[in-house]
Amino acid sequence: MRNILLVAKREYLEGVRGRAFRMSTILVPVVFAVIIAVAVFAGKNSGVGKHVLIATTDSNLAADIQSQLTDDKDSKTTVDVIVPSSPSERDSLVSKVREKEIDGLLWIDTAVPSKITATYISTSSGDIVIGSRLESALNHALAAERLSARGMSKAEVELVMKTVSVDTMQVDKGGKEVKSSGIGAYLKGYIMGIMLAMTTMIYGMNVARSIIQEKTSRIFEVMLASVKAGDLLAGKLLGIGAVGLTQLAIWGVAAALLAGSAFAAPVLNGQLSIHLSITEGLLFGAYFILGYLLYASLFAGLAASCETEQELQMYTPLAAVPIWLSFSLIWLIINNPSSFWSIAASLFPATAPIVMMLRMGAQTPPAWQFAASLAIMVVSVWAVLWVSARLYRVGILMYGKRATLPELLRWLRYS
Amino acid sequence: MPVVELASVTKAYESKVAVNNLSLSIEAGQMFGLLGPNGAGKTSSIRMMMGITMPDSGQVNLFGKPFERKSLERVGYLPEERGLYKKMKVIDQLIFFGELHGVSAADAQTRAVSWAKRLEIADSLTKKTEELSKGMQQKIQFISALLHDPGLIVMDEPFSGLDPVNATLLERTLLELKDQGKAIIFSTHRMDQVEKLCDSICLINKGQAVLAGRVREIKSRYSRDRVIMEFEGDASFLQSPEIAEANNFSGHAEIQLKPSGDAQKLLHEAAAKATIYRFELVEPSLEEIFIQTVGGKADA
Repeated sequence: MRNILLVAKREYLEGVRGRAFRMSTILVPVVFAVIIAVAVFAGKNSGVGKHVLIATTDSNLAADIQSQLTDDKDSKTTVDVIVPSSPSERDSLVSKVREKEIDGLLWIDTAVPSKITATYISTSSGDIVIGSRLESALNHALAAERLSARGMSKAEVELVMKTVSVDTMQVDKGGKEVKSSGIGAYLKGYIMGIMLAMTTMIYGMNVARSIIQEKTSRIFEVMLASVKAGDLLAGKLLGIGAVGLTQLAIWGVAAALLAGSAFAAPVLNGQLSIHLSITEGLLFGAYFILGYLLYASLFAGLAASCETEQELQMYTPLAAVPIWLSFSLIWLIINNPSSFWSIAASLFPATAPIVMMLRMGAQTPPAWQFAASLAIMVVSVWAVLWVSARLYRVGILMYGKRATLPELLRWLRYS
Repeated sequence: MPVVELASVTKAYESKVAVNNLSLSIEAGQMFGLLGPNGAGKTSSIRMMMGITMPDSGQVNLFGKPFERKSLERVGYLPEERGLYKKMKVIDQLIFFGELHGVSAADAQTRAVSWAKRLEIADSLTKKTEELSKGMQQKIQFISALLHDPGLIVMDEPFSGLDPVNATLLERTLLELKDQGKAIIFSTHRMDQVEKLCDSICLINKGQAVLAGRVREIKSRYSRDRVIMEFEGDASFLQSPEIAEANNFSGHAEIQLKPSGDAQKLLHEAAAKATIYRFELVEPSLEEIFIQTVGGKADA
């Protein structure tokens, strides 16, 4: 045990004293903040400042749409209306779009009142935001017009058309309703999932890199004369894992300080409010440790059977497949966190850590699923460690040639 | 009681037998040379002594007891493949290796400083290992093997890569350690060093011991059939029927006698024709014994 701790201490100190640790501790949150800021800025400015031309024979309808679009001050949309005399004018209006005189043309054909059609023509096919604004304004105007046509007064139409926003509440374990933000909860699960994926990958890879470097620098033989191979691997996993936990703790404390500051209040209020309970924090820690141990021991076995860092890099994308698989399930999990596939993925050890984080964002899974997934992970970590320790013990002293599959199987049989 | 003992040890890898039924033992205060051509099984034998690999059969005893990892705290090891943590400071590295062998951090630091002064590398203690030359790194590794004051010192090719000055410094240090009662075993290809330093040797070829014992005793087994002569005058005596082969370098001749050749007869024949300044019947060098024993049989 003493030697395991000595090796762990060495790995830990080398890790936290390294430039890579300092840089990633500072840069990762900065990069995250920049990505979020860019996404928020891009979202706010998407579809803003457009110049749209509405062409329809129904001038009232056009005026109604125009007033709705111009009333929305945030959209800063310039709307012109044209009442064409015939469909043949369409081509000349489309050419204005092509010449970029206007950003888009909304052509509304009201010739048959029961079968009104509308087309938005622009040079950009991905103009989703403005398209959806136009659709909403058109339908609102049409509904209002139809209600007026049935004898409703303007006040009555306004009352009927008044929209209501839905507040989302979540029932907690004590049966109490607590305000919840769908986007905030989604963000929480997503951020926790990404942080877990990133840290397990980075530190799992660090274990592999450390093994390859020791293998190429031939230090193993000196170490093995004083430490058992299993203790050496255990110390390495502990030390590098502790570096990861330290980094997460720094980010956690910094995030807590930032979240409590006046600076963050406007960002974290309302839809983006994120609340992390102590249980969620503890579960995050538990899944980090088990996820890290699973991937790190897998990478350790892989590294011990490789000859160079380049060779190792060839295999690592394969080892990371479950992490990417977890993220590909994100829509399924957010929309249906209790489906069979969501539960199966949260019990499968390779995807469990990230899927559980995503599920916790959508809906806290029942306790038995946490217990089962953690238990399955513990058993899997033990099994992978068993295999990796054997590959490690033999592989670290094998130099000169790449191990073949039959050789790897033989290594597993060595006592 | 032998400090280290291999009793009929065998180790095979895949289809190759690396060490075959090897037995040897080393006492305290003895310097032991493990010799053999490349691939003979020297490193495999050393790895079994260190518990890095386990023998398929036979037994390894350390300090009079069957091998146990606890005994390794009393063993200092310098492997053939040198390795240090490149990014670590030298002093931190030495303390780390000392602690792994059960020495406290404070003691390890004191000893590291003392050893560094002794091996003339005190200035390097605060540097990172990667900043040092290969020879300097080798000295650091040498210190790390000795820091915990081991009773048994095992060194695989300890002098390779060292310049003559540093090689002499290390030789002197090893002799001092031997005088302190440490058992020292090292493998080497340098026969001159073996002759100078070792009390006993074991020559391995293809995994088997082909020659073992005290150096003096081994050399005495070989007949003195080489003659070194210095003379002036007629060199025709070099055609004598007693001689198998002779090289004459202007009055300095190296002569190999026939198996039945008589040195005294040759001396008489030579004295009749030339003035003899030196006539020395020499024993074979270890190098000659090595080549004679292994020659033509080695893999490498």
